[in-house]
Amino acid sequence: MDDSTLVAQAVSRDVAAFSALARQHQSRVRGLLLRLTRGNHAAADDLAQETFLEAWRGIAGFRGESSFSTWLYRIAYSRFLMGARKRKPDEPLGDWQGEAASGESATLARIDLERAMAKLSAPESAALTLCYALGLSNTEAALALNMPLGTLKSHVLRGRDKLKAILGDPS
Amino acid sequence: MNDSELDTLLCQPLPERDAGEFSVALMEAVARHQARPARILSWLMVAVLFVVVAAASVFGALAASHGAFGPQSLVVPAALTLLTLLLSFAVLQSARE
Repeated sequence: MDDSTLVAQAVSRDVAAFSALARQHQSRVRGLLLRLTRGNHAAADDLAQETFLEAWRGIAGFRGESSFSTWLYRIAYSRFLMGARKRKPDEPLGDWQGEAASGESATLARIDLERAMAKLSAPESAALTLCYALGLSNTEAALALNMPLGTLKSHVLRGRDKLKAILGDPS
Repeated sequence: MNDSELDTLLCQPLPERDAGEFSVALMEAVARHQARPARILSWLMVAVLFVVVAAASVFGALAASHGAFGPQSLVVPAALTLLTLLLSFAVLQSARE
């Protein structure tokens, strides 16, 4: 069943339809939040649960101007920012532990990427994740992060430059 | 690292996360959220019930001290008892929800 049908059913308070929507989108929302929390699984899952609960409460307000996933990313990002504001300045975010470290170069490259991502600002990390790993267009990503398109593009460019520097750009 | 290598790395999909435990916890949270109005209502009704029972006790005590027991004096206790029964039923219903 596609998102629009499930959303229509969830708007009429169909818990099963919302559960199906949550199952469909949970991995990507948790992935985005895991990156933003720098690999802190517990914090990411707490924020993801808050995101879906807020979505359940406010699903009647979803007008379909963007895709459902973009709407969820928007809630997730604003939840993350709210959490970041509440967090004390000396309270650290997670320290990326990476997935089970194996000797495979792809895994090592991913861990390197996550550690480099952890050094970016939240908007840069979110912009890069949405535009590349989650495959959103720049317009959709700008909508999800609630920022003008130009600002999003400059976050993407700045983030890329920083990553290249951190990961070792020979040029 | 050049641009295309960085693009390849960035475009890797995020690791797939298992829905199992997360979905169960989420649906429990949704159920708790849905039960909230009924819970609040049942607590309100319990409070009203308490007030009604207290009023009935006071009325009973006053009537006993004045020795005024007649058919007319039964109207108020009967009304209070009926109200108590109705509220008990309502509390029971919302507790079931």
